[in-house]
Amino acid sequence: MNRYFRELSVTGALVLLLAVLAIWAPHFYQPQPLLSRFTAQTPALILTIGMTLVMIVRQIDISVGAQFGVCAVVAGLISASGAPLIVALAAALAAGAIMGALNGVLIAWMGLPSIVVSLATMVTWAELLRLFQQGKFINLPANVQWFGLSQSAGQQGLIFGSVLLLAGVSWLLKNRSGGRHIYAVGSDAEAARLAGINPKLTTFTVFVIMGTLAGLAAVLNMVQSPQVDPKCGVALELRAIAAAVVGGVAVSGGRGRLWGSFAGLLLLATINPALTFLHVEAYWEKAIQGLVILLAVIADGLRSRRQTS
Amino acid sequence: MSSQNSRSIKSLLLRHEVLLVLVLVLEIFYFLNNARNFGTPDNLSNIVRHSAEIGLLALAMMPVILTGGIDLSVGSLLGLCAVLFGVMTHDWHWATLPAAFVTILLGGLAGAFNATLITALRLPPLIVTLGTYSLFRGLAEAITQGTKTYRSFDPGFLGLGEFRFLGLPLQGWVLGFAALFFGILVHLTVFGRSFRAIGYSPEGTRYAGIPVLRRTAMPYILAGLTAAVAALLFTARLQQARADAGTGYELAAITAVVLGGTSIFGGSGTVYGTLTGIAAIAILSNGISRVPAVLKAGIGGELASLLTGALLLLALAAPALVRLLQSARKQPTT
Repeated sequence: MNRYFRELSVTGALVLLLAVLAIWAPHFYQPQPLLSRFTAQTPALILTIGMTLVMIVRQIDISVGAQFGVCAVVAGLISASGAPLIVALAAALAAGAIMGALNGVLIAWMGLPSIVVSLATMVTWAELLRLFQQGKFINLPANVQWFGLSQSAGQQGLIFGSVLLLAGVSWLLKNRSGGRHIYAVGSDAEAARLAGINPKLTTFTVFVIMGTLAGLAAVLNMVQSPQVDPKCGVALELRAIAAAVVGGVAVSGGRGRLWGSFAGLLLLATINPALTFLHVEAYWEKAIQGLVILLAVIADGLRSRRQTS
Repeated sequence: MSSQNSRSIKSLLLRHEVLLVLVLVLEIFYFLNNARNFGTPDNLSNIVRHSAEIGLLALAMMPVILTGGIDLSVGSLLGLCAVLFGVMTHDWHWATLPAAFVTILLGGLAGAFNATLITALRLPPLIVTLGTYSLFRGLAEAITQGTKTYRSFDPGFLGLGEFRFLGLPLQGWVLGFAALFFGILVHLTVFGRSFRAIGYSPEGTRYAGIPVLRRTAMPYILAGLTAAVAALLFTARLQQARADAGTGYELAAITAVVLGGTSIFGGSGTVYGTLTGIAAIAILSNGISRVPAVLKAGIGGELASLLTGALLLLALAAPALVRLLQSARKQPTT
């Protein structure tokens, strides 16, 4: 019980919020809008999976929003040229992996702090994209949206696929040696090295995974609309970091679970519609998001203090 | 720390700053020859006027980074302070002077909020200021309902945006005063020199009898005050206050500090290095937008930010590369 305290408290908060909505705003639960709202979160969910890994290994990556944007434009341009979706997907994944690898080289092998490295790569990718695309939207062929399926089939497919990915990565993280290495390096890189783990390789791999997931998320975002907005990645990194922090992933590394981040993401994603349904103005979203992040870290800080004293 | 070690760090620092000055000279030389109207006195004061806000934030960011921390919230705080100033002067009909005073006070309070969470609760600065980054900007958006813009300030206040004394724009005086203040604080006072000690080794500093947590709080409070001053300058220059004021400024400020040779891990750096970093960025963004080809394509802003990002990556990677080369040869290359 105590072991899962953070995850369970976030889940509790989410259930509470959903209950409040059920009583005061039951139309929140109309199936079709709810399905659409959940589908809109799938790209953020994919990024949150990656961000959780990055934070468990005691790093951070604030360039994922920019990576997401670059991958979206790459996939969009390829799809617009008439190539099949699988080619666009492969290109987006490759672009993401390359950008992730650049972060990984600078952070893992050169020993530079991830916050500043990803800050620099964020600016570089975002501005390159702005120079290249000049804010122009990319129109996609009709068969790209929802993979050419019907809307509800596409939505269900996206949700099913991303939750399956979450479960899969969660299982790998808990039960395979590669996953345990991530926790080990995040808790104490030197001890992990003495235990025969290569911390640099582990860190590098996590950043490559993060980049690849950014590519996947960009494609999952692309199939939801008839156009690609080159600014679609702006501030997405904050959403992923917030979800992980709220979900109990420790910034100090070595601690966190994917289902906690999942609950965190759902909690944050429910706040905004909840505001609208409960007739609070939506302008408060960002402030409340910041407040939730602060509350989560304050709770963590107080807890760890009580445990040490 | 052995004396040889300190000498090699010193020579590295020296090299970094010499390199930066070289970049600066190359920039100026290139733009004098290729950019339109770059060397005119008018443009020089233009550069000073436009770099003041980011310059102020960078000067305040420098002690924060020196202690081994970071403050991502300064850009958002600039926006919040600008909006609060607008609320006080417009919605509450306060006079300019008390409104400005209260704005600066509130900036200090916001900084103290960061400082409290970081020192009293011992939370990581990165995640605390990431939270307030979102919180401050969110409050600014909530107050203005996302769209409202405060215009038509007191003409005397707006005149400050164009005010000159002895040929130097007001922004230059404020920036110079701030540089002097932070320079004296960081380099010449016992209080400020403890920032460096804390960044170098918090535990060792505590054993030396310095109240580490109380000292760590001060740079964040100063950063809050400075962000408020920058907000006033920003409002006076653009003649309007909006919730999105100062978006991305924290990145530019961090870039200037790191470019200026301050170690991102804390413990070493100089204020004059930061000033050189500010100048390098300001001249780059002004000059590049005056190169005819860039001017014609209308991509000055993007290109300047792109080059700034690339410069930051280079500045970051350079010491690590030098270290790699040195350890490969097993002897310092001087």
